[in-house]
Amino acid sequence: MKLLVNGDEREVDVEDDMPLLWVLRDELGLKGTKYGCGIAQCGACTVHMDGVAVRSCQVAAATAEGTDVVTIEGLGMPEALHAVQDAWIEHQVAQCGYCQSGQIMQAAALLEMHPEPSDDVIDIVMSGNLCRCGTYPRIRAAVKTAATKLQET
Amino acid sequence: MGWKIKTATATLLVTSLALAAFAEGENVTINPPAEGSISRQDGFEAWQRIYEVTSHPRCSNCHVGADNIPMWSGPSYGVAGPHGMNINAGESRIGAEYLQCSACHTYREGDNDMPHAAPQVATNWRLPPVEAEWFGKSGVEICNQLRDPDRNGGRDFNEIAGHLDHDLILHWAWNPGGGREPAPFSLQEHVNDVLAWGVAGYPCENDE
Repeated sequence: MKLLVNGDEREVDVEDDMPLLWVLRDELGLKGTKYGCGIAQCGACTVHMDGVAVRSCQVAAATAEGTDVVTIEGLGMPEALHAVQDAWIEHQVAQCGYCQSGQIMQAAALLEMHPEPSDDVIDIVMSGNLCRCGTYPRIRAAVKTAATKLQET
Repeated sequence: MGWKIKTATATLLVTSLALAAFAEGENVTINPPAEGSISRQDGFEAWQRIYEVTSHPRCSNCHVGADNIPMWSGPSYGVAGPHGMNINAGESRIGAEYLQCSACHTYREGDNDMPHAAPQVATNWRLPPVEAEWFGKSGVEICNQLRDPDRNGGRDFNEIAGHLDHDLILHWAWNPGGGREPAPFSLQEHVNDVLAWGVAGYPCENDE
């Protein structure tokens, strides 16, 4: 099947029910999206499909066909970071870093819906993304900084 | 097949058994009893069975009120509480304002055999309208809501039965998989009870 990933059309030979997560990681070599739980409990595998955050461990490859898939590798580039990535560096959010690509993808989707999110909105939207290091206060601060950056652009 | 091995590893972490598979999109027969053939008493007994269904966690957990917060309750959950992850489905009842229900409850064919995974059906997961609040409500409250066209989507008993026939999320309640307890009776028996209740004149406990 053909998948549109980070703007590139990619041909993959996979079963229809193969989770998108493993298509991305094992077939396309996009290792930035992480496996955490495999049952939509942690958010580490969050990517965008048509601009909406989804848990890629739960999305069948066939469902992703025909959609615009964006992973952490496609959100921004080192020379042109997405505002969320920039804010993440500024606040040094990551500790071990394992959950952070999912956090960043979820935060980017959040800011599409809520350009100026309150603490309550941040907590509601980001609570599905777990962080064992407990970086939540820095995540919240970075989301607000990213919101400001996006407002300025 | 690495992904299947990794997925299976998650399965080993829990002890619940998956339920046997049902046919996809189970349909029911809508064959209402003849008018006048169901007594008020028999209709009320049908209602009491309907209430066992509407108050069951497979149904009531999503039939929540204006806070738009689905519940996690039932035999496998221990103490009832709000859906984990601070989930709020918003006034859209599909999570459009925050995190869409479909971020995890994705569109999927087949059974839900993975314990603790987000249930998925071949339609968009969502909460029912707020008018159909059932969680924590009494039988008489739900009975009056279900017979009130202003709060039941403008449906008569045939149309309620038809709704049960076509809505795949409702079908899931009788085939939840993943060790979850199904709604009581069967989908067909529930439809039969709805039809009998309607033919009997929608009796509720507060009737004269």
